[in-house]
Amino acid sequence: MGALTDLRVIDLSSNVAGPLCTKLFADFGADVIKVESPLGDDQARRLGPFSDDEENPETSGMFLYLNSNKRGITLNLGSQQGVSLCRELISAADVVVESFRPGAMEGMGLGFHDLEDLRPGIILTSITPFGQTGPWRDHQATDLVEYAASGLSYVNGLEGREPLKSPGSESYYHAGLSAFAGTMTAICSRDRSGNGEHIDVSILEAATSIFGPQLLASQYSGSPPRRRSLNGPAGLYPCKDGYVSLNVRHEPTWQFMWLFFGEPEKADDPRFATQEDRRRRSKELEELLLPYLAQYTREELFHGLSPLRILVGMALDVTDVVNDPHLQERGFFTQSDHPVAGEVDLPGAPFKMSLTPWQLKSPSPILGQHNQEVFAGILGHSPEEIERWHEQGVV
Amino acid sequence: MAQPRPPKLPLEHIRAVVLTQAWAGAYTTMLLADMGAEVIQIESLDRPDPWRGGYPPRLSGAYPENQPGDRPYNRAANFNSVNTNKSGITLDLNTIEGKGLFLDLVSISDIVAENFSARVIPNFRLGYEFLRHVNPSLIMLRMPTYGCDGPYSTYMGNGGTTEPMSGLSSLMGYGDDPPMNSGIMHTDPVAGLYGLSSLLIALHHRNRTGEGQLIDLSQQETSVHLITHQVMDHLMNGKNSRPMGNRDARMAPHGNFPCGGDDSWVAIAVRSDQEWQRLCTVMGKAELASDQRFASLQARLHNVDELERRISQWTRDRKAYDIMSQLQAEGIPCVPVLNAHQVLENPQLKDRGFFGQVDHPEIGSHLHAGTPWRMSGAPTRVRTPAPGLGQHSAEILSTLLGVSAGDLASLEEKGITGDTPSLDD
Repeated sequence: MGALTDLRVIDLSSNVAGPLCTKLFADFGADVIKVESPLGDDQARRLGPFSDDEENPETSGMFLYLNSNKRGITLNLGSQQGVSLCRELISAADVVVESFRPGAMEGMGLGFHDLEDLRPGIILTSITPFGQTGPWRDHQATDLVEYAASGLSYVNGLEGREPLKSPGSESYYHAGLSAFAGTMTAICSRDRSGNGEHIDVSILEAATSIFGPQLLASQYSGSPPRRRSLNGPAGLYPCKDGYVSLNVRHEPTWQFMWLFFGEPEKADDPRFATQEDRRRRSKELEELLLPYLAQYTREELFHGLSPLRILVGMALDVTDVVNDPHLQERGFFTQSDHPVAGEVDLPGAPFKMSLTPWQLKSPSPILGQHNQEVFAGILGHSPEEIERWHEQGVV
Repeated sequence: MAQPRPPKLPLEHIRAVVLTQAWAGAYTTMLLADMGAEVIQIESLDRPDPWRGGYPPRLSGAYPENQPGDRPYNRAANFNSVNTNKSGITLDLNTIEGKGLFLDLVSISDIVAENFSARVIPNFRLGYEFLRHVNPSLIMLRMPTYGCDGPYSTYMGNGGTTEPMSGLSSLMGYGDDPPMNSGIMHTDPVAGLYGLSSLLIALHHRNRTGEGQLIDLSQQETSVHLITHQVMDHLMNGKNSRPMGNRDARMAPHGNFPCGGDDSWVAIAVRSDQEWQRLCTVMGKAELASDQRFASLQARLHNVDELERRISQWTRDRKAYDIMSQLQAEGIPCVPVLNAHQVLENPQLKDRGFFGQVDHPEIGSHLHAGTPWRMSGAPTRVRTPAPGLGQHSAEILSTLLGVSAGDLASLEEKGITGDTPSLDD
């Protein structure tokens, strides 16, 4: 049994952040109804990747990942009839998630106070680039822009080169997960109080929250942290067949590493006597270690040093990750059978719950797939009405 | 007339007793505390949370004015940034008395959370199957780097290992260099947000059924979710993605461009041909607008080096905030690449009251990043500073567990609790 089977979520959001939030609802059992415009213009349908790079709005890999376990309907929210049907849906829902520009929901008569009148106890979660208020509320952003404004880019990369964003759409993940946590907090509170809530998620604030430790450190030190110095350690060290991360500054891992290399006396090198010496002379330390590391493969180092309680990681590329025996043994990847895309493997459970496990029950919906089921089944409209709305371009 | 009482916080009826440390677990439990839960952090006097920066003489923290002071473990920026709103007590879980007090706390709590490597909890004999005897409706979150089972599960990990082990490091970089870790270990807070999500799902289930449960979260797995696009490209097409720097397959120009001033940059993302035309107008470069080499996304991607050179020529002598004003006025995504001090001055964040000021008794007053979401009905923000080591030991043990003053003194004598670390040299 899913933990969230008593909840219905109306998902008006698009792209990555909002759908990631509602994905968690769907994956743990909630009835998530994804509302798209009849044009199917959710950006995630264009994000890809596509099989053989052939663009098809039904087979975008990100869309398949973000929207499995949801039901999909179409509604033209630019039409009065469309908004009216949306209000009917919301009357039968617990949560509404949206990612329109600030003010758009109010403009459609779907602001938080309107929704509260429709459905007391409703929780509305709004996700926008910079939040519902403030001088930047109408500014435009992408993940690159959010990452830059959060402070995260400035410290990422190499001294003397441009600041780097993280691969993927990381700020959207921070925002989507924050939106889910905020919404679930409101659900848990509502379980007791019956009260609804409007959750305002700013993607910038979600990303900036991640920068909290550096923000405090920069006030303590009086200077902002910068990108990695070219004279410092590279972070990842080359070995026989790739790269590893390795942290041997602490006692007794320093001694254990030299035992592993078969030269225990090297642990007494006076240049690296203390943790502080090893930190200060990290570039020299790197030069000392490289010939030793070059004799071993990533796996030899990982499986040889880890049992000695040394922090070591293999720099896996995407192929390595997909084939990683640990992820496979834990059953991390899962398979979806989609009517258009066919059998597609997807990253699966983000965490394992002993009583209410993550489940993949249905693939992502094709555009408007559940119109009949939702408009007739939930709202009780007749096939004739639905046909008429179809002709009018409402659905 | 009734006194106005402070607004209720959404989770103020929840108590969590937590062994979380460093960042991932601590972030989960800080957000729980932000939402009003009573979070009691259990620490060890002889094995400090790594984010406390070590005990003398081995120090690795960032301290105010670079002064570790007498109690450096109470002055480390990392720890103080991710443990606000919590209480902190010390207990030696290797002793019968210490473990007994821990179990007493578990019996009156809703949640236990920890992010040690997977062998630690079984070594303490504090697994879920045992704890549920003490508290049948307990929710327990375990979030080791590699999860609770599988071939790597006993290995140690932190952000520096999770980034390479999840594929992120292989995708980070300028496109031409070896794999690279991020400037911060951002896989930690991602795991932290998933961890919080799992706890809230379990709480709702418990509200419905009364049942608790065990959650097994692998930080390697939550990190792989971050690169789903690249993972899907492998699963669907067998493609092994490489770093792209700041470039994007669907947008160009898309990058951080140099501005006037020391290490000053501006982020610009052009999402469509229309935005490209508007950018050319703002730059006053009619010749670029009509240049066939840049006329479509495909063309701009094909000539991206030249494209970026042209943009940089224009940005180089300008101020990042001026560029932002001009581009945002035309609806083009753009913002300065802000450093930490500039983030603290960001007019948008200040206007929304994102930062919370908190006064730490041993350090003074500083700004803390706010909770990553706002709730209309509740002021969720920083209320109390991160606890000093063992700061609330006496208070919690006496008020919640009824430990007498005499017993407290004896526990302190034996080093089971207290506020002074046991220094080994």
